[in-house]
Amino acid sequence: MTTMVNPALPSRSAQQLAPGTLAILVRLGLIAAIAVMLAVVSPGFVAADNLLNILRQASLLFLVASGLTLVIIGGGLDLSVGANLTLCACLSAAAIKSTGQPVAGVVVALGCGALVGLTNGVLINRLKIPAFLATFGMLWVAQGIAYWFMAGQVVYGFPPAFRFFGGGFWLGIPVPIWVMSMVGACGLVFMSRTTMGREVYLMGANEAAAVLSGIPVGRRRVLLYVVSGLMAGLAALIYVARLNAAEPGIGEPLLLPAIAAVLVGGTSLFGGSGGVFGTLLGAIILTLIVNALNLLNVSATWHPFVTGAIVLVAMLADAAVNRGARK
Amino acid sequence: MTIRTAQNTVKNAGRSLAAIGAAVCWLAASPAFADGEVIAAFTKNQVDPHFEGVRAGVEQVAKKMGATVRQYVPTKPNNITEGMSQLEDVGVTKPNLVLFMPIDPKAQLPTIKRLIEAGTPVVNYNDKAGDAPYLAFVGEDDYKLGYDIAKTLFDHLGGKGNVVILEGIKGSNTGDERKRGFDAALKEYPNIKLLASQPANFQRLLGLQVMENLIQQFSTIDGVIAAADASALGAAEALKSAGRGNVAVVSINGVPEAVEAVKNGGLLAIAEFNGFKIGCVATEIGLKAIRGETVPKQVVIPGAIITKANHAEWLVPYQRRTCPTAASYVAKW
Repeated sequence: MTTMVNPALPSRSAQQLAPGTLAILVRLGLIAAIAVMLAVVSPGFVAADNLLNILRQASLLFLVASGLTLVIIGGGLDLSVGANLTLCACLSAAAIKSTGQPVAGVVVALGCGALVGLTNGVLINRLKIPAFLATFGMLWVAQGIAYWFMAGQVVYGFPPAFRFFGGGFWLGIPVPIWVMSMVGACGLVFMSRTTMGREVYLMGANEAAAVLSGIPVGRRRVLLYVVSGLMAGLAALIYVARLNAAEPGIGEPLLLPAIAAVLVGGTSLFGGSGGVFGTLLGAIILTLIVNALNLLNVSATWHPFVTGAIVLVAMLADAAVNRGARK
Repeated sequence: MTIRTAQNTVKNAGRSLAAIGAAVCWLAASPAFADGEVIAAFTKNQVDPHFEGVRAGVEQVAKKMGATVRQYVPTKPNNITEGMSQLEDVGVTKPNLVLFMPIDPKAQLPTIKRLIEAGTPVVNYNDKAGDAPYLAFVGEDDYKLGYDIAKTLFDHLGGKGNVVILEGIKGSNTGDERKRGFDAALKEYPNIKLLASQPANFQRLLGLQVMENLIQQFSTIDGVIAAADASALGAAEALKSAGRGNVAVVSINGVPEAVEAVKNGGLLAIAEFNGFKIGCVATEIGLKAIRGETVPKQVVIPGAIITKANHAEWLVPYQRRTCPTAASYVAKW
């Protein structure tokens, strides 16, 4: 099926369909501004080690947020990503422990993530439960299973072959950064170069129009939740390998930062616009702020406030640029 | 290990079913204590093995003394809102004894006072919950634990070097008292330089990431003091992957995973904060008090320093440990 121009859409849709180049530029500008300021103030910042350190921390956040980005662009919401990560981390850790095979952990983590995603998709698509409620319910179900399964224990100590996913290097670059780049590239190509990706934008922008154009909206939606679940499972693998442990509190603090990375990256919570590359920048911005505050020796008491303020400034800059572009 | 995990899972399933069964029987039996007293035991989360230790200690003594236990744990770790509503529920269900540890002492004190005024006996355990007519307090001295473990590290460094502190949750009694202990020890060692002190909220991931950032910031770090095992383990992981595995890391708690790290040299030492013993003694004291015995107003369990030399005792799983008696910590009642 070829991409079609849909008369039912408002004329600005052409702009909305591709992730806005302007929005990306605003974010790159923000990252550059923080980076230049830091390079001047703190000589340690531009050290290659520190830059890799920032990217490695951002990669964990980005993986959770990447699948979520697609769901949100398609007009949905997935609140279960953090709990899904927790559940997959615990199950895959136990699988590696009991078999001694890293492969078992990989299969279990991705399988668990996809299954949770599929359940979300079915709840929303077949049983017509609103996305917010379905995934909120799933959050507690996944978290509950993880608590029951772990019973207050921590599973720790994995073979080096598995630890490589989180702590290893390939060509001098930490493995999580490679994973982030690959996932980012796949997401970018899928959303902007494939028919299916365009359909997702259309679904989020105007679902009625998407249905009228003959797009199988239901199937696409289930697919998006499965992808989101898969990404949570992949992130779980990297987390467990990085921390060398799995515990049932691992993913809970990640939900809000993941949503924030998506939104700071320029994806609209109402669906229909944004992109995976933006989310990658969003994750880098959020990580960069904390790294900067650490290097500047700002007391941790101020971290939440400064993070919030910078996010708001980014959003304001975004709005201003958009207004300017429309004139 | 593998089998143990599987066994645990099976055992837990059994335990959950037993608990459900017990709850059903309990609901069916109209007088609330047809079969011994009902104890409501509060812990702060289902994530930290320390609290698993507390719960295991409570269960062991309750079983021995013929009481049943209802565990109250917030589903979101250390969530004060949930902790409050669970406390209010207990006001309605009126158990014969409450074992209480605060998530936020200031916020929860009024509710706990009302509970005691309404006639429910309360033992305060694990960490201090402000001033109220409790039957007793059973716990450890967090200030002293912080002080002792910091001194252990400084002596190991020969009294000079650069250290960083990974604090607990800012504003939590446990975290603040431990930090006060660290600071007091710092004052005694003029050649120990404190590079930075940042919260890691007793968490592993935060311990890892805060440490990663500190490694970037400071080229020479000789020692790390963490307020809890989880953040110490995260920090040790960050140090190891940055090729600085020789940095000495100390912490407070003594959960099995951390003790194993002491055994393997990943951590230098741990000040024992023994949840299992606290759970045991608090339950014994509480039950004896409501059965009419006179009990001591305060039992402070001393925390040993766990090192490579003496670590074996703390590697035994909670379920297989034997509760100490309250009498072993109190000279005479």
